[in-house]
Amino acid sequence: MDKIAEKEVNVSIWQIAKAVFAAFIGIRKKSDLENDAAILKPIHVVVGGIIGGLLFVLGVVLLVKLVLS
Amino acid sequence: MAAVHGDTHGHEHDDHHPSGIMRWVTTTNHKDIGTMYLWFSFTMFLVGGFLAMGIRAELYQPGIQILEPELFNQFTTLHGLIMVFGAIMPAFVGFANWQVPLMIGAPDMAFARMNNWSFWLLPVAATLLIGSFFVPGGAAAGGWTFYPPLSTQGGLGVDMMIFSVHILGASSIMGSINIITTILNMRAPGMTLMKMPMFVWTWLITAYLLVLVMPVLAGVVTMLLTDRHFGTSFFNAAGGGDPVLFQHIFWFFGHPEVYIMILPAFGIVSEIIPTFSRKPLFGYSSMVYATASIAILSCVVWAHHMFTAGMPAVGQLFFMYATMLIAVPTAVKVFNWTATMWRGSMTFETPMLFSVGFIFLFVIGGFSGVICAIVPIDIQVQDTYYVIAHFHYVLVSGALFALFAGAYYWIPKWTGRMYNETLGKWHFWLSMFFFNLTFFVQHFLGLAGMPRRVPDYNLQFADFNMISSLGAFGFGLTQLLFLYIMINCIRSGEKAPQLPWEGAKTLEWTHLPTPAPYHSFEKPPVVN
Repeated sequence: MDKIAEKEVNVSIWQIAKAVFAAFIGIRKKSDLENDAAILKPIHVVVGGIIGGLLFVLGVVLLVKLVLS
Repeated sequence: MAAVHGDTHGHEHDDHHPSGIMRWVTTTNHKDIGTMYLWFSFTMFLVGGFLAMGIRAELYQPGIQILEPELFNQFTTLHGLIMVFGAIMPAFVGFANWQVPLMIGAPDMAFARMNNWSFWLLPVAATLLIGSFFVPGGAAAGGWTFYPPLSTQGGLGVDMMIFSVHILGASSIMGSINIITTILNMRAPGMTLMKMPMFVWTWLITAYLLVLVMPVLAGVVTMLLTDRHFGTSFFNAAGGGDPVLFQHIFWFFGHPEVYIMILPAFGIVSEIIPTFSRKPLFGYSSMVYATASIAILSCVVWAHHMFTAGMPAVGQLFFMYATMLIAVPTAVKVFNWTATMWRGSMTFETPMLFSVGFIFLFVIGGFSGVICAIVPIDIQVQDTYYVIAHFHYVLVSGALFALFAGAYYWIPKWTGRMYNETLGKWHFWLSMFFFNLTFFVQHFLGLAGMPRRVPDYNLQFADFNMISSLGAFGFGLTQLLFLYIMINCIRSGEKAPQLPWEGAKTLEWTHLPTPAPYHSFEKPPVVN
């Protein structure tokens, strides 16, 4: 039972990451979108979006540090 | 909601709503309130336009002719404030009021009485803003961004402006909460989020942005107020404060504000282009994701407005890179609009003309934005006419052209009458010509070094300023033609057919009569 639940969580996180990444670029296939809409809840996307936003900021900061070093 | 707005209740309501002026004062009907928003914003557009005419008349030739420098500064400040907060933003809220319930199959907005209150705050704020011209010391004159120390030094006019911004902010927040709740809770059965029209999506995301940033604006103007009257020193270096702090807080609001004014424009254009291309919107899901992306990125780029205010290289590079990345989702959108038109059966009625004009000119404004995002260039063009040209390409040929497109597109649904197509086309082509005459040359003025917010200039700028002023007078007069077209349509336009645009697929066209009845979707439609 635990294993199944764990698997679902893993799938969801990967799914969230893909959806958020797609949102950042602004490109998503329709079939993937429908899949997102079926599996993901708003809370997933909101939390994923906040984490994604933080990662984006960190990524740009790292890039800037790299350029300036 | 359907139960609440059942037939019996609907008729009762119909029979008892007051007539005359009280209908408008007490109305809770989303269509009435939408209409009031639209008329209010057009009135403010004319007031802001009058100020613009004053500015361009003074700049027609070098020397001081018409406006004393103090009054000129008040004109530039109030022109910006009135156009942003009084014209563009309320106009989009007017569109949201009319269209969101119609497009999602809802009977009205979620909080109908709060909707009334959101609107009626606006004339109060407008009275404060316009009235500030007539108090001792005149209106605020430190620019629409009201940076301290200028804004901590002004007279009563600055306090009136601050209070006005508070009221406008409250109105916007209430409006946004209403829009979010309506969209999330009142969609017709079967209207899933991913079936919503793009206009509704863009407004949902815009409303979240508004809820996020308007309190920040309210906070910063309150800090300004306490600095002015209660002895605090948030922005006063002599008391341990920092005027640059104001700029950071202001632009944390100010940059998302830019997107607040352009995302609903994207939504309107995304409705019109598929209709007149007779094809579904290319990449609908990408459009939704791109809109979300633009909204998120818009919150981490604010300091690109203040590269010259002093900032470490890390900050400059961060904000430069982040700003340039916004070009990616924006380009996705432009690509999708173009792909929607590709091999479509296109016709060019006035709404489509304004939408295509929007894409063409908005791209120019977007590119000059990318140019301004590059730190070494921005340090050269900061506070020059190049920046003026850039943001007028985004806000006039972007937001305003989309508003015109939307007005022509939906006026048959709102009034049951058609506008005069020939005059509409004249309105577009004259706007297009005069807009570019006014603002394209301002790129050259900026690159040559002409600063913004000055009533006089050196002789080498004279020719381009004269051209720009002539363009502005033409553009201003052309907008009176728009007023004439709309009044003519409402009073004596030809009766509109049930479906004036054969390619229109959204609920307001497919499930409602033309004109839309006073109470629509009392029983929710079924969306397949």
